Order: sequence, then C-alpha cells, then structure tokens
Amino acid sequence: MDNSIVISTPPHVKSRRTTRGIMLDVCIALLPSAIAGIVFFGWLALMIELVAVVSCVATEFVYYFIANKGFSNKCKDAGKVCVRWWKQFDFTSVVTGLILALIVPATTPWYAALIGGIFSIAIVKMLFGGTGKNLVNPAAAGRVFMAISFAAVSTYTAANIPALNFESGIFTDSTNLSWLLSAYPETKVTVLDLFLGTGVAGCIGETCKLAILVGYIYLCVRNVIKWWQPLLFIVVFGFAAVFMSGFGFIASGGYIFDIKLFLPHLFSGGVLFGAVFMFPDYVTSPKGVYGQILYYVLAAVLVAVLRYFTHMEVTSFVIMLMNLFVPLIDKYLIRRPFGYVKVKKEKKAKTPDERVADAVDALKVDENAAAEISHGKDNENTEKSPAASVQSVNADNVKSAKEEA
Amino acid sequence: MKAVNGKYLFGGVHPKGKKELTASFPAEVMPTPERVAISTSQSLGKPATVAVAVGQKVKEGEVIAKADGAVSSDVFASVAGTVTEIKEAVGASGVRETFIVIKAEGSDTFRFPPLSSPSAEEIKARIRDCGIVGLGGAGFPTAVKVAPETPVDILIVNGAECEPYLTCDHRLMVEKTDEIVRGARFIAKALGVSNIAIGIEANKPDAIAAFEPYEDIKVVKLGKKYPLGGERQLAYAVTGRRIPQGKIPAEFGAVVHNVGTCFAVCEAVEQGKPLYEKVITVSGNAVKEPKNLWVKVGTSVSDIVDFCGGEASNPKKAVLGGPMTGVALASYDNYTHKTTSGILLLSGKEAAAEEPTPCLNCGKCADVCPMHLMPMNTAFYSAAGDFEAAQKYGNVLSCIECGACEYICPAKRPLIQAIRKTKAELRKKN
Repeated sequence: MDNSIVISTPPHVKSRRTTRGIMLDVCIALLPSAIAGIVFFGWLALMIELVAVVSCVATEFVYYFIANKGFSNKCKDAGKVCVRWWKQFDFTSVVTGLILALIVPATTPWYAALIGGIFSIAIVKMLFGGTGKNLVNPAAAGRVFMAISFAAVSTYTAANIPALNFESGIFTDSTNLSWLLSAYPETKVTVLDLFLGTGVAGCIGETCKLAILVGYIYLCVRNVIKWWQPLLFIVVFGFAAVFMSGFGFIASGGYIFDIKLFLPHLFSGGVLFGAVFMFPDYVTSPKGVYGQILYYVLAAVLVAVLRYFTHMEVTSFVIMLMNLFVPLIDKYLIRRPFGYVKVKKEKKAKTPDERVADAVDALKVDENAAAEISHGKDNENTEKSPAASVQSVNADNVKSAKEEA
Repeated sequence: MKAVNGKYLFGGVHPKGKKELTASFPAEVMPTPERVAISTSQSLGKPATVAVAVGQKVKEGEVIAKADGAVSSDVFASVAGTVTEIKEAVGASGVRETFIVIKAEGSDTFRFPPLSSPSAEEIKARIRDCGIVGLGGAGFPTAVKVAPETPVDILIVNGAECEPYLTCDHRLMVEKTDEIVRGARFIAKALGVSNIAIGIEANKPDAIAAFEPYEDIKVVKLGKKYPLGGERQLAYAVTGRRIPQGKIPAEFGAVVHNVGTCFAVCEAVEQGKPLYEKVITVSGNAVKEPKNLWVKVGTSVSDIVDFCGGEASNPKKAVLGGPMTGVALASYDNYTHKTTSGILLLSGKEAAAEEPTPCLNCGKCADVCPMHLMPMNTAFYSAAGDFEAAQKYGNVLSCIECGACEYICPAKRPLIQAIRKTKAELRKKN
C-alpha cells in the first residue's frame, strides 16, 4: 500500500457515465438532423452549424479565461489555462450551438448565428452560473433573441430559401399549415413529405422528422432521456392542436374535430425537434416525475394554443416560458418517500365541554389583547373599544355553549 | 418450496456484480493469527465494557467485554491466549474505539452447553449470551430484534447480498444451507411465527436451488438490483408491505434477519458457540488471490491481505465492507468486526475517484432512489447550510444511505457526504 490511497465516503464504485459522456451522446443524437439539414439546404446549412457551434464554444472559453481570478497572470501561462479548460469542458456548449443552428432557417446570415451563439452562452448560461445553473434553455433563448433582433432576415417563407424544391408557396413553420393542407387540396405536400422533409421549407434540423426519430431512439437507448417524456408531449400536443385547428373551419361551416390532422400538425414546424431535444433538457426541466408530467402536459397545450394564433417561433417561446415555471413546480411537487403515510387531519365533532373551554380560551386571549390596547391607548376613552365588543360576543358564546350543555 | 418472484421495486441501480471473482471459491478457514485486536464497539448502541485485565489468560469464546445496556452485545475472545494490551485507537469508521489485544497461545475453547430442544425463552437467552448481532452490516443486536413489542407474522431471511463483489452470504447459503434453515427455525420459534421466507437475488441460482427442497421455507427470487437487500426493500419485495419512514418492519409484522445471523444462531443454540468468527470476502482486482475466508473477529487487515497473496497492484482504495456502503481504510492497520462482510482492494480502474462537476439537475439520483427521495435537493440545501430545507425538500431523514444516488450521478457529486452531514446537523439541533 502506498500513499496514493483515496479515502472517501461510500460508494466506492460508480457508474462510468459522466456529464461529458451524456452531452456527447446528445451531440451524436443531433447528427442525423444536422446531416439531413445539409442534404436539404446545402452547404449554407453546414456553414450556419459551424458558426453557431464555434461561437458557443469560443464564448464559453473566453468567459472561462476572463471570469476566473488572476486574469493578468493567466495571460502568461495561457497554455495551462487551456489544459484546465479542456479538463472541465463538458460539451454542453457544443450541444447548445448545434441545437441553435438546427432551429434557424438556412437563410439566416452568419452574423446572426454568431451573435445568437454569443448571447446563448454568455448571457443565458454563463452569467447565471454556467452548466447546470441556467434558468432557461440557452438554445431556445438564443433562438428567440435572433427571431426578435433579426426579424427581417430570419423570417422564412419559401421565397427566401434557396436550394428548395417547393411548389406551393406555403411555409411550414407554423401551424395553420395543417388546415391549409385540407383547405387547399391542390397542395402537393403530403404527410410523408412532411415526415421526410422533402420539398418542405423550414429550419435546418426541424424539417426531417425521420432524422429526429433516429435521434430520439438513440437517446432512449442510451438512457439519456426518458422515453415517455417526448411521447407524452406529442400525444397531448397532437390532440390539443387538432382541437384548436377545428376553430379554423368555423368560417367555412362549423367546428370540425378532424383527427386526420393529427400527423400533419405533429410533423410540421419545430414541435417534434423541441419535444426530443429541447424540452427534456436536464437543467431546465423539473426533477420529479409528477412535476415532469405537469410540465409536459402544460407545455404541449400551450404550444398548441399559441400555434393557432401566431406563426412566430412558438416552440422556443413556450420552452422559455415553461422553463420559468420549473422552480415553482420543483418547490411544490415533492416526491413522497417510499411507504409514505398520508397524515389525516382528524376532525372530531367537539363536545359541549370542549366548546366551553375553547370559548374561555378565546376570552383570555381577548382580555390580553384588550389590556394591551387599553394600555397603549389610554387617552381614547370612547364608548366601546373593538376589543370590548369582541369580549361581549365571546361571553355570549360561552353562555350559549353552557346552555347547550 | 418452489421459488416465486418477488415484487418489483422502483428505483435501484445495476452495478457490475464482479461476483465471479470469488463466487465459485468455497470458504477457506484462515489459520489463527498471532495476535488479534478486538474492538468493544461491535454493534449498534453502546460499546461493551471491558471485563478482562492485561496479562489475563483467556479461552477462545470467553467473554472479554460485557454488554452495557439493552442495545449492546457481549464481545468474545476469538483466540485462546493472553491479553497483552488494552488500548484506545481510532477505528476504521474514524471513531475512537477500545481494543483488547490478545496474543494467541494454546487452544483452550469455551462453549455454552448445547440445547437439544430449546424453548422460545431459552433461544432468546442464548442469542443474548452469544452476543449475536445482525450480520447484514448494521450490527443491530439480534437479542433485541427477536423480542419485538408488536405481534409478528413472518420471518424474512435476507439472502439477497445485492452489494457487488461480496459473495460470503452466497457461499454460506450454498455450503451451510441446512444450518441456516435450522437457525431460521430457531429464530421463528423465538418470535412465535410459523411463516419463514428467504429472499435471494436471481443471480444466485445455486443458492435458490439449495433452499427449494425445504417445504416450510418460502423462497422468493428477487430481481438483480441494488439495494434489494435493504430491510425495507426486502420486506416490500417479499410481503408487499410498505414500511413508512421512522418505523421498523417489526411494527408491520415482518422481521428481517440475514443468513449469516441465522447461521450464527444455529451454532449458538446447537453447539453453544459464541459469535467470534465470520465468513468474509476478500476481493478486488488489486488483491492477488481473491477468496472467501472464515476469519476471527479482530484479525488485522494486513494479515488477511498477506494470507491472500498480498497486493497484485497498488490499490486505489482499500474498503472494509461492501463497495456501496463500506468504509474506505487509510491503512491496513485495522481489524475486522463481527459485522465485517468483506475486504476489497480496488484498483484505479475499479474505484471511482473523479472530481465532481456541477449538478445538471438530471434527476437520475431521484429515479434510482429506492426510498423515493430527492437527493439533489438535499445536496443543494445542505451546501447552502439550510438543513431544515434539506429535510423538507429532500426528505433526508428517510434515507437509508445505500449509495445508489451517488453511484449513478453523472456529475459525480458527493451526495452521501451531503446526506450524512445534513443528518448529523439535524440530529444536533433536535
């Protein structure tokens, strides 16, 4: 035995899973979507992906370099700092950058992706304390930031998407798409097209639902996310969306609950991508099972409702909004321990004697209060102080209780 | 009886068993060491009071320290010889303990008179006289457990042995099946119950097969999952009773005893042999010849490691007990207890000693918690110094410290440390 022996609390064996490993798994799960984006939208998509990832990682590195103590000293041995940074680097910023790139259209200018990445990491993540401490999903916040700041260039209609074989002129990010499908039967987009992402406009990673499905299966197999979470979300969302889109038919002759719209709703826009890669984000989702169920159901309904009214980045907005509810959910939905027994509050009918005793107790308290009041307000010798009136009422109570007895 | 499946339990982890290192080796008897150092703190509760003086000759099995109070147990000389020293030293768990050092000489043995057909009272008295404690790890005096205040209707024998590496209970179940059954019957008689069930993990098919021929024993096959050997988890898996926090299984009509305890009771009743010997597992990749060994209480770790061929490589951790709940040793200058279940020398590859990274809130700790707690909340509030909130949001006082949360944590957070600290602080306040 030499001196390098380690003493610690148990357990002495641990699983091989690390934060870095989990984040790498997420990156791998995102790869099919990233590749599908490149296939559909060309090298422009690759450029956006690279810019977003590099800007996120670089921002994190610069923040690490500056924010730690002794900045001037560190400039001297920058090499050591780089090694230390690499040791603690957990690939969360790569995930953020990749997701951010996949939820913007390929026409987004490179500077928008760059600034979006810097905002996501510097403002949303690092300023709140880095990995594990951010309040809202950095990628969703970055996307919302880009949608607001670069509204003109990140709106996507079919017109400003190059390399796209799109015939009908409908844009898919939203929503009303599904009722448009039925309203304009001449549209050549089918559900299969929506699923595969062929001939459909949209964001880089959101169009090919097949790639998202592959990522979902990978994440479930690697036990990164719980399989039921995205499923719960999309099922609730699908029904809520079909319910909402029924109102679209009122103008043309009455409410219709058309279940055929379930899949078109699901496969249009960024809902599926959000459900698999963004809602289950560890940091910004509830910790307990009950909290998670509430979170996914609420989020799904909210996305469905908002989608009916607006076209603009609904999923990202709802993710941010729901993230802000998470601390509240975590506080009030605490898991009950194994074998928890509900403490029943016993409500017995009071016997007359007890009622007398209660009334007498109340009287005592009131007397004390009255004494304090009269002590404090010596000058106010008006007809009847409020305390005195209470006293007389209580005296009546005692009397009536005694009569009953 | 034919094995039946136990109830499914939510939570729990599946660590690598590593039982193949020792599972097939029959338990060897380790030769008597030259000297033993026997601690007087051999069970939960108060340490025993020393009843011998330096220079006194003692027989093997003679009382050398008397129980102090109800929750305490007698301590026996594990070798015949002379008491050479009575010293105070820091024990494995970091608490000061009194050690009685005996130099081995001769082979005089002391035995209580064997009981042929004992009554319930005689069995209870014998269990107390022989200083038997729960050999599952906690070391609760068995004499207290066989005299519950509430009526009991089932005796559950714990043969789960869910901790990785350890195979001592497995070997005992295979080699001493009949003794365990007889011991369980004695305990059942003392308790006044007729139902006996034994819970065995599915990864020990030979042990399950060994118990199936006994018609009065219900064999329950448990899923391979840690910590199914926990008292509450086992009681649930076998009977479906959920034991609430702050209660003991006996209040719900179930008493859980380890297979090692049953074996010790059998020996105590039939041969009058006090508890001063136990099977332990010596394992880990850093030990040359992993073994199952019969060792005497108070044998030093260095003697045991030497007997197993010494170190194969530099160990990263030396553990007294199982890898999930055992104590990390600072040196081999430590001694086995009545409750010691194993000695593990873990190599750098096996022992986890990574630096903790920030908590991700992934909730994996809550998912695997067999008590359905929220360890991340406990760790969070404990770090902030708000121990009341740690109890309110994490329910830390129900924790059984099985270590499943820290095992699974991808950020390698020291959760058990936080839980223990919170418990200590809360105890200080009350």
